Amino acid sequence: MSTEDQDKPLFSELPEWADVVPIPQYETDAPIAPILYSVEYKDATDYFRAIVKAGERSARVLQLTQELIRLNPAHYTAWQYRYETLLSLSSSLEAELKLTNSLTFKYLKTYQVWHHRRLLITHLRTPLPELPFLNRCLALDAKNYHTWSYRQWLLSHFIDDEDLWKGEIDFVENTIADDVRNNSAWHHRFFVVFGCGVREGEEDRARVIKRELIFTKQNISLAPNNPSAWNYLRGILDHNNLPYSLLTQFVKPYTVPLNPNAVDIVDLENPPPVKGAELPCVYAIEFLADINEKAGDKESLLKAVELWKSLANEHDTIRRKYWEHRVRDALQSPASA
Amino acid sequence: MTTEHRPHHRHTKPTAADGYPTATSLIQQETENILLEHGLSNGEPTLQKNEHLRFLARNMLQGFPAQYSSQDASQPWLLFWTLQAFSVLQVGLDPGNRQRAVNKILAWQHPKGGFCGGPGQSPHLLPTYAAVCALAIVGKPGPGGGWDEIDRAKLYDFFMSLKQPDGSFRVAEHMEVDVRGIYCLLVTATLLDIVTPELVKGTATFLASCQTYEGGFSSASHPFYSIETDRVLRVPRPNLGEAHGGYTFCALASWVLLQNYLNLDFSSISGPGDQPESQWDTELTRDKPEIDVKKLTRWLVDMQGSEIELGGFKGRTNKLVDGCYSWWCGGAFVLLEALGVGGLQNLTARDVEVDDIYSQAAKGGKGPAGEQTEEHEGWDDIDESLFNRKALQEYILLAGQHPAGGLRDKPPKAADSYHTLYCLSGLSAAQHHLYPSHPRKAQTLSIWKDDDSSSNALRKAIFCDMISWVEEEGTARIIGPATTNRLNATHPLTNLTISHTEGIMKHFYGQEVPPRPIPKPTGTKKVAKS
Repeated sequence: MSTEDQDKPLFSELPEWADVVPIPQYETDAPIAPILYSVEYKDATDYFRAIVKAGERSARVLQLTQELIRLNPAHYTAWQYRYETLLSLSSSLEAELKLTNSLTFKYLKTYQVWHHRRLLITHLRTPLPELPFLNRCLALDAKNYHTWSYRQWLLSHFIDDEDLWKGEIDFVENTIADDVRNNSAWHHRFFVVFGCGVREGEEDRARVIKRELIFTKQNISLAPNNPSAWNYLRGILDHNNLPYSLLTQFVKPYTVPLNPNAVDIVDLENPPPVKGAELPCVYAIEFLADINEKAGDKESLLKAVELWKSLANEHDTIRRKYWEHRVRDALQSPASA
Repeated sequence: MTTEHRPHHRHTKPTAADGYPTATSLIQQETENILLEHGLSNGEPTLQKNEHLRFLARNMLQGFPAQYSSQDASQPWLLFWTLQAFSVLQVGLDPGNRQRAVNKILAWQHPKGGFCGGPGQSPHLLPTYAAVCALAIVGKPGPGGGWDEIDRAKLYDFFMSLKQPDGSFRVAEHMEVDVRGIYCLLVTATLLDIVTPELVKGTATFLASCQTYEGGFSSASHPFYSIETDRVLRVPRPNLGEAHGGYTFCALASWVLLQNYLNLDFSSISGPGDQPESQWDTELTRDKPEIDVKKLTRWLVDMQGSEIELGGFKGRTNKLVDGCYSWWCGGAFVLLEALGVGGLQNLTARDVEVDDIYSQAAKGGKGPAGEQTEEHEGWDDIDESLFNRKALQEYILLAGQHPAGGLRDKPPKAADSYHTLYCLSGLSAAQHHLYPSHPRKAQTLSIWKDDDSSSNALRKAIFCDMISWVEEEGTARIIGPATTNRLNATHPLTNLTISHTEGIMKHFYGQEVPPRPIPKPTGTKKVAKS
């Protein structure tokens, strides 16, 4: 309980609530596994149960549910009842959104506050101001699951809103630049580029795929041991049914120790690892093994096995069982016969 | 039975930051420094059972401290986490406290069906799972026993009222859609024998659409509708959120629970020429939904932290390890067994009809079942799990335990009820190797009592599959002193013990289950009054 709340009168002390008979939670005095509630919390929930039982929809219900939500933002029934009350009173949803803004900042990790927002925006149909709001949320917590999935809901729900969508690629580019290891941002990029169908201006898929491959390879060269980027690379290829072998030349330098004498070359297609890179990189070895496994000839398969063994015994020992499983799996497949 | 704990040199190589620090790598490094200190333990890592029991008993008998008010809408969860943690620790409640627990759970049932987060709240799928599972632990048949007081007809109506055109379910009226709710619904419906084709039609397709390019599952997907037919399009159906351990467990468990429905529905019930029957048919409803199991396996394996992270699991790519993912990710490997990935039984042919196995076994012949049994002999020192069972146990024992009792996310955090259960369940999943046994399924089928219910075939298949999970004798791998550290095995689909899962299912299906080999020490200890 924060100190600012301490002087607040209880609902049981307020004359405007005198007509309501509060309902205690349990009929028995000694339920097993009780929560030792504060006086304020018990007071608010006793009155809330009475309101729900009576089915009251009124302005004071909005006051009560707001108070209860502040005490416990995960009280889904309070949110649910509040939403129904807002609709039945035809209350201003703009005002409600404003209130929700401050609650969202405060309770960023609560399911209910984000879902309430969705309900409001579905009615209000004002997606555009949501973007700067969401950016402020991400500044507080760059990987917040609710914030990202809400953003993806927003973009899906208003899929035809060009104004909403037009800055999204730039946004995600900046977010990845802020922290190249932010997997939420990489996932969002996949959502934007591949997840929602083909947008106007993106019809040339070969060009889009090339752009994505170059973007990802550059980010890998910057920080090679970054599973987010490697997963995205695989995602591009899998989604578009492209063979991993397209990237053999790019991947190889990442599978061996860093060459201190390498000359600086600018090769957009195959950006080399940066100076500080810690190589060999597990994800690159795995990728090269996958290329070899797919090749179909016995020699390549044995090369893949060798790479898996190096992961199992040296570079990624925690996953030894899995790499051994890959070896077994590949050797048992018809291609190895 | 137990494995030695050899003191070993721990690899302490930090996660490579490539000389390019970002917010993610900095907090990763901080965490690794803390974990490294905890990894330097002397002696055998030991489960502080008594401290954990005291933590659980204190919450249950004296009450949860005021900060748990934030979980006032999750009261069934607080009770389930506590009761199930006792069960995993091989401790049962005395009859008086069992009855108090049953009475409390029944106060959460809503007059219109389903269970609420607390008395006077609204029914919701998540507390419904927690309440029904808690009843599986403390309830029994007969008046006041809790089981027969569950209003299954109204519960079914409640479930149907939440169903969405894309095959998903809202967690409560007006509330969000996500795969947690689907898992909770399917476990409840499976335990209580109220699964119907109508209930689950389209749900598997929804789940499949939640798999992300990384291989794990997201919270939900967004449906788009065809203008002509007003049905859900198969693509685009974008994920809402990235691959996540908790959602992945829920989606995978749900997927496994739906296999019998899928097999029946797509083999016999619907032919290729059928017209769509209901609003839950997608545009391409005749395609059996699929998930990419290989990709899923790769992602799950990748969630295990390295040696410097003590082998704990993380919930998303490039996030920190957290004790609760010991169950959400560690437990998911057990589920993969049901899809034929990893595990002992998969080294023999899997495409044998269950009926064949049964008839061979019944004749005592050397059929596929006989061969399978033979091949398994002498395997007790082979560990075929795809994740590092030893390392996961070490994370939980070295970093997951709070010195004052209860388990936690990671040091230096406090313990709580949620992490206490999911660390213990994860520890159990790392100790015991369970898999769905074809012979046990065949045995269960052989004693099934047919009835005239219209969904007899589906019910029968679901029941026999749930009962088929066994632990291969001699495959337990227990780090530390085995008598102290050993936990009960949990059913991978319910996260109840095997016997609690079977007990409540026998009652609601009106069936018997084959006897099991006598389990090792099971709990009859009583909780001390504190």
